[in-house]
Amino acid sequence: MIEVKDISKNFGRKKVLKGVSFTANKGEITCLIGINGVGKTTIMNAIMNLTPIKSGEILIDGEKLSKKTFEKITFIPDAITMLPQMTIGEALQFMKDFYESWNSERANELLTFFRLKEEEKISSLSKGNTAKVNLLLGLALDVDYLLMDEPFTGIDIFSREQIAEVFTSHLVEDRGVIITTHEINDIEHLIDKVVLLDEGVVRKEFHTEEVRENEGKSVVDVMREVYKQ
Amino acid sequence: MKNYVKLVDFELKRFIKIYFVLIGMTIVLQIVGVILESRQYLDKATEAMYEYSVPLMEFVGQNGKFGLHRVLETGYFMIPIGLSVAALIFYCFFIWYRDWFGKNTFVYRLLMLPTARLNVLLAKASAIFLMVLGLVGIQLILLPIESTILQWIVPLDLRIDMSVSELVGQFGYGYLGLIIPNSFIQFLINYGIGFMHVFILFTAILFERSFRLRGIVYGVIYYIAAQVLFLFPIMIEVFFETGYLYPIEIFILEIILGLLVIGLSLWISNYLLNRKVTV
Repeated sequence: MIEVKDISKNFGRKKVLKGVSFTANKGEITCLIGINGVGKTTIMNAIMNLTPIKSGEILIDGEKLSKKTFEKITFIPDAITMLPQMTIGEALQFMKDFYESWNSERANELLTFFRLKEEEKISSLSKGNTAKVNLLLGLALDVDYLLMDEPFTGIDIFSREQIAEVFTSHLVEDRGVIITTHEINDIEHLIDKVVLLDEGVVRKEFHTEEVRENEGKSVVDVMREVYKQ
Repeated sequence: MKNYVKLVDFELKRFIKIYFVLIGMTIVLQIVGVILESRQYLDKATEAMYEYSVPLMEFVGQNGKFGLHRVLETGYFMIPIGLSVAALIFYCFFIWYRDWFGKNTFVYRLLMLPTARLNVLLAKASAIFLMVLGLVGIQLILLPIESTILQWIVPLDLRIDMSVSELVGQFGYGYLGLIIPNSFIQFLINYGIGFMHVFILFTAILFERSFRLRGIVYGVIYYIAAQVLFLFPIMIEVFFETGYLYPIEIFILEIILGLLVIGLSLWISNYLLNRKVTV
């Protein structure tokens, strides 16, 4: 379980996060929803210790993040995290060199699924294919938790469909996933849990299934309630 | 350790193209310089002796004998060496900032590697160190080759043959002596001080990467403070002329302070990389 406990962060004088708390379980897809600039990416960065927080605590399976944790959790930011001059093959080799949890078999499976060629240079890829390579680099790690920042933004509809397909496949199953988005429509049917953020605080945290069954509301209905208050 | 070695290898590969260009430029310019300068001297000698019948001894008396030391003072040597030094100093900054800027923010990857983040810094420093040593090594190999080329062109009566140690110690405004010291101790001192500066600079850069605008101020303050700490014994001698310490004592103190500054820089860098740095 990923536990985010009462974290705060300032950018200069601006308070971006004002005591954010939520949990994300293994085997569930948790979605952080909020408008741009609400601090979604900052939360992801904070979980990965890529930006310092002012106060609060983040635990992964009850432990603080350490270098070993990076074999257990990975982050797929919205821009690719490899050098543009590398080929896809070189990028895969880089990952294999450094991560014990790298799963070459799964990497190949994903290459075929996304129809990517190892000899292609990252800098020459289309936006959609770059996003797919980025996703591949994270998904081919045998980690328990995956964080994805806006995986659907700015890419064509077919790539979106392909990526959405990944979410329902064995590639994601059993793992804990946190994804951020500001447009829920594409993925509403995929997510198990929603964390609604607004002005640096969590406005509501709920399981989509429960709300659907008990109150007969969709995620968008709940969002409307919360944000229009 | 294994990850550190892999990272060094990776950092070296990232600069290898520009590095080979630097090496190529150094080799070509220096050898072309030796050939052209030798020819020019020989032409002048031939003209004087054959057209104006100046005796050999008189020509040598007026113009001096030719040797590699003369080429050392020309742009053929100074430009490639100067450019290599400038490129490596520039690379000390670029090696960090290239990971943050541009579309592909590679720093995410580097900071998420399952290895101590200090290894990333040590690998960058080691890569620079190895590249500096490589260039110095190439210069050391080049000098005897250039001497041989010169000997093919200029006859014995018109030239002075010098060993590498004579060349680097006495000529070329001493700049070669700085990069190729004539004793191992001096080598350790020159490059030790050089690398202390690299570590101080890396710490200053990490201050900037952690606190951005405020970080620039912290970085500059740290840079100055580290210099002052390192030079403290010498500054006291210069300003107050106390003569309290023997030169050997100052020397030992400087070594201790140098190591202290390196240790301090690494400690602060480690703290910044783990607690403060922002992608």
